[in-house]
Amino acid sequence: MPPTRRMQIALAGAIATLVSTGATLAFYEESLPTSMNPLYAQSMVDNRVHELVLDRLYYHSPITNELTSNVTNQWALAEGGKAVRLTLKKGIRWHDGKSFGAKDVCYTVKAMLDEGTTSPIAQKQRAVFAGCEVEKDLVALVRFTKIFHNPRERLGFQVLPEHIFEGDTAIPPDHPFNTRPVGSGPMKGSMGRRGVAFEQVDNAHHEADIDKMILQEAQDPLVQVRTLQNNGVQGIIAVPPPYRPEVAASDELALKSYDLRSWWFVAVNSTKPYLKDARVRQALNMLINRNELRQLSIGVKPDEQNPPCEFISGPFVQSSPYYNRAVEISGNSDRAAAFKLLGAAGLKQVGGRWQYRGQPISLRIGIKAPLEIEAPDLLSQIGNQLSAGGFDRQEFKISVDEWNTKVLTGQADDFDLLVGKWSFGLVEDVNPLFHSRTGDKGNLNIFNYSSKGVDGLLGEFNTARTDTQAQDAYHALHEMLASELPYLFLWKLDTKSAWRTEVRSNTITPYYYWTVFDAWKYEP
Amino acid sequence: MSSRWLRPMVRLGAALLLPFIVPALITALIWALPGDPAAIICPPELCSGTEALAERWNLDKGPWHFFSHWIGGAIDGDFGNSWRLQQGVPVAEMLVESVPNTAALVSLGLLLLILAATGAATRWLPAKLDPVLQGLGLVPSVVMALVAAAALTIGYGVDQYSDEANLVRLGLGALALGLADAALSGTVTGVRGLMESERQQRYVQMAILRGEGVLANALPNTLPALAGQMRARTLHLLSGAVVVEVVLQINGLGDLLWGGTLAQDFGVVLAASFGFAVLSAVLLLLQALIEIGTELHVRRSPAGVVP
Repeated sequence: MPPTRRMQIALAGAIATLVSTGATLAFYEESLPTSMNPLYAQSMVDNRVHELVLDRLYYHSPITNELTSNVTNQWALAEGGKAVRLTLKKGIRWHDGKSFGAKDVCYTVKAMLDEGTTSPIAQKQRAVFAGCEVEKDLVALVRFTKIFHNPRERLGFQVLPEHIFEGDTAIPPDHPFNTRPVGSGPMKGSMGRRGVAFEQVDNAHHEADIDKMILQEAQDPLVQVRTLQNNGVQGIIAVPPPYRPEVAASDELALKSYDLRSWWFVAVNSTKPYLKDARVRQALNMLINRNELRQLSIGVKPDEQNPPCEFISGPFVQSSPYYNRAVEISGNSDRAAAFKLLGAAGLKQVGGRWQYRGQPISLRIGIKAPLEIEAPDLLSQIGNQLSAGGFDRQEFKISVDEWNTKVLTGQADDFDLLVGKWSFGLVEDVNPLFHSRTGDKGNLNIFNYSSKGVDGLLGEFNTARTDTQAQDAYHALHEMLASELPYLFLWKLDTKSAWRTEVRSNTITPYYYWTVFDAWKYEP
Repeated sequence: MSSRWLRPMVRLGAALLLPFIVPALITALIWALPGDPAAIICPPELCSGTEALAERWNLDKGPWHFFSHWIGGAIDGDFGNSWRLQQGVPVAEMLVESVPNTAALVSLGLLLLILAATGAATRWLPAKLDPVLQGLGLVPSVVMALVAAAALTIGYGVDQYSDEANLVRLGLGALALGLADAALSGTVTGVRGLMESERQQRYVQMAILRGEGVLANALPNTLPALAGQMRARTLHLLSGAVVVEVVLQINGLGDLLWGGTLAQDFGVVLAASFGFAVLSAVLLLLQALIEIGTELHVRRSPAGVVP
């Protein structure tokens, strides 16, 4: 940066400090949010932004991991456990000054139940909520469709203002609220074509220290990092792996872990004749050398302390209560054992390449394209390892659109293996991922995997009445999936945020990021 | 009708029809795509209740039903709300924000070309500069815009959308638009060639011998061709504006069109295309008026001549 420009910025900074009580914090996000309405959230960017503007009824404290709430005082089970009576805090106001109350909680539930709200998120919630009743101004009775073992975790939705929608519970995707929301969170937000501007709002339950924030869409990674170094912005939500060493080396910047509560996998198409036998899938699992993969792709050194990439053996992150620690993690490959299994499953090796019924096997491997930014070359590295194990392969990068329309709808039958990741917020419900596709069940089952045993365990989880029952069901599921291997489970990969050191007390909440934003401080 | 009026009249007709034809073609394209239009605009993984949405957006009763509603609203200045690009924001509001930016960008680029064309016509701009201009013209606008965008982002940081930065952005954009893709060099060589050939005409030589100015004699005859050239250059700038606006993040019509297409927000795409069609129509109209004006001027009998 030329000295004159530095002086201009310094001068502007000094003037801003004199005339304003607080400074503007600017940061780069991966993209602009698609909607400021949580019912139409499509991406993690959306989930993060909503956390600043609106209040979830319940959330996990990032410090104690306790389920807590900013807007309720008390809760009690009602109607034999099929409802929860919530007493809201007094004095909470929406950003436009109107009172926040039970009517808003019930309006939100009713909006999710209204078929006219054309939101897939609301559609899923229809299986959870049965209705809501305003008992007093600050008392709402939320009814569920059944007894849940964790009813408050089901109340992790953001509350919407009834008055803005004038009581109309059908919320379309082109409602003005979706760009210019009125919330009750620590910041008032307004989305433009180039970014989102946030302004602090004092409230009975929020008192953020930062007055103004600006979210801008990420540019080229190099430009992002240079702008951060020049103090043009103060933070980057997700720093691409190649730039992390440079950021970590700077005294003015701090690299912070951001737990996305997401885990990575390679889904295996068990409907293909050569992948139908569980022994073949187990052999593929043994051919994968996860230590080498994460070193080559993510740059994790073998002796690294607290690596951002933590291996998993089932469909949960290790910090989850549902993770079964008794199931072993496979870090290295075991080619001899894999070959033995492949031979036992009827595959033959001819000229070093595996064949099924006389035909060479060529695996079509795909990856959701944006994942290659977080884990560069992962697709090629997996392909290389399988190729070294005797499988021919073809590699494909799949666009987000194709992933959404083809893969998630179970129509990607032309692929053998698909590399993806799942992220979970408050409720870790893997039923849609592994249940047989019937009716509204298994609607995220990528290769239409079907197992009576797995369906049974998922059913047990659904009917669990206590946390222990739910954990037992998912622990057993973890064990069964680690043996059946509809997925080759890879790892949980934290992403890294970078913030300038002038930004302090910046606790990053797993998945939601900004949940405890009130404590953040910016002292330029 | 005399044949000399035919060309301007065709242009006038085209100018009137263009704002209707372009949205009609895009509407036809929406229906030509495989699948339900409402599901294309808001796929099931993003929106449930496709039927309700189709009804809300007039997509449920075929292309004519949709187009007639849309064009009726457009004539009243109501383009509906954005479906996906900026959910819920009135598209008219987005157009109002975009048109001045695109107009400013293209006008600044055009100003550069007009100055260069004037310089070439009057021989003020030496012909030996042509290779330099041609060299500059080899650089694609996307490359120039990328360099400018990186400089702006690093230089301005969070202030990159401040008024000052936006002015700089507009200036750099106009420069990229005017210089790149042979816009400037094409204009200079085109105008110079036309004027030099006209200078060789006998009537101009006679005028020079009579002591009259070259331009006063040559310009009326070359004006329709120059107007045609400049319209073509302006269209060139308009199409280049899409690239420059996208790369330099200028909130113009081109950026709106691009964003709408990426987000499959056909309401925005229709409106942005309508905006481009109106701009093209205005250019056609201007060209037609210049042709008519020149025709009237050339045919006008000099004072004192009795018919």
